[in-house]
Amino acid sequence: MLLTLVTPEKKLLTGTEIDEILVPGSKGQLDILPGHAPLVSTLTTGVLQYKEKGQSNFKAVVISWGYLEVTPTGVMVLAETAEKPEDLEAERVEEALKRAETKLKEGLNVGEIVKYQRKHQRASARLELLKNYSKN
Amino acid sequence: MSLKEIRARISSVKNTQQITKAMKMVSAAKLRRAQDNIINLRPYAKGVLGLIADIAVTHRVNHPLLQPKSHPQKVLAVVITSDRGLCGSFNSSVSKFVEAYYKENKDKYEQLDFLYVGRKGAEYLKNRGLPKPIDVILNLAREISYTMAANVAERLMTAFTSGGYDEIQFVYNEFKSAISQDRVTETLLPIDLSHSSLLNENDQKFSKDLIFEPSPEEIVEELLHKHFAVQVYRIMCESVAGEHAARMTAMENATNNANDMVRNLTLTYNKLRQAAITTELMEITSGAEALKG
Repeated sequence: MLLTLVTPEKKLLTGTEIDEILVPGSKGQLDILPGHAPLVSTLTTGVLQYKEKGQSNFKAVVISWGYLEVTPTGVMVLAETAEKPEDLEAERVEEALKRAETKLKEGLNVGEIVKYQRKHQRASARLELLKNYSKN
Repeated sequence: MSLKEIRARISSVKNTQQITKAMKMVSAAKLRRAQDNIINLRPYAKGVLGLIADIAVTHRVNHPLLQPKSHPQKVLAVVITSDRGLCGSFNSSVSKFVEAYYKENKDKYEQLDFLYVGRKGAEYLKNRGLPKPIDVILNLAREISYTMAANVAERLMTAFTSGGYDEIQFVYNEFKSAISQDRVTETLLPIDLSHSSLLNENDQKFSKDLIFEPSPEEIVEELLHKHFAVQVYRIMCESVAGEHAARMTAMENATNNANDMVRNLTLTYNKLRQAAITTELMEITSGAEALKG
């Protein structure tokens, strides 16, 4: 099963052989193994994990909002953004999370709530990634 | 011109040459980065189109964004130039085209609005009888990112879907190669998918029995928005790359011209210098001859 992961600004993976992939689908986590039925789904902000062929550990990236297409030959992920753990700084992520939290506690209009909820979601996904995957 | 004047001239030309040379190198570095942007974007753009194509195979994609108006009345033209000059005819070709385009088409459409990206185009077109632009976006070359392009795309999309415009066109410099950029006009909204070869390919895609989450209609809706944003980003990338390429060529020419000038000036300088020496020698010898009597 080949994994292609691209964003408008960079190509992260193009045809890497993988054994398993976990993606944050818009209706919940999806676990895809080789031989999965063809599927098109939207993705939400969250941590995407994949296991390269023959490896036992998962690698992970944070993606925000995108598409997943499963074909008989592989998986294609089109994400708005994608960041590896080494691209992120814990301090700044925590700061962003706090800022979003305090903003959400203040009274805001609908547009702002959506905006900060999105920021909050992204920051927490990044933090999760840093906590669990910064070692490898 | 005196010898001293020529000397001063030579050194000033050499100074200018150093500046143009440096600018050329800077543009070359920036061009490489801008080209990388275009290359990195391609797989994503292709992916989005491919997905639309896959869905189109099993479901009739019949979205309002795909329906061209037979007689567009309200048109918005997005004009992309650069913020800085010294890049040959990069800006003037677009600006002059837009000026002519307006004169030609202002009676054809009920409403013809402009949005300028880049300071040079905005300045040129300000006093040429064109209507006031709906907005001017600056700092494209420095701030170019997908997020920025997506914001612009979102705005245009809202203007289009709310019925403000029947057609949105882009006038920009397409990046062909480091030595050639072409001015092109492209209609981005409504979206025309017939050009993209992907949708006409009759390959094995037909056998696909896809599961959709959420419904294919919703996915297509989102994909078309994405496709538009990607196209806006692509055009911006092309224009930025074209700008750097044009500046690189212009600066290369300037450096070569400076070289020629230095060579000619040095030749004149040496001629003058030798003439002066000859005159001086003649004076001395004739003086000596005169003394001999």
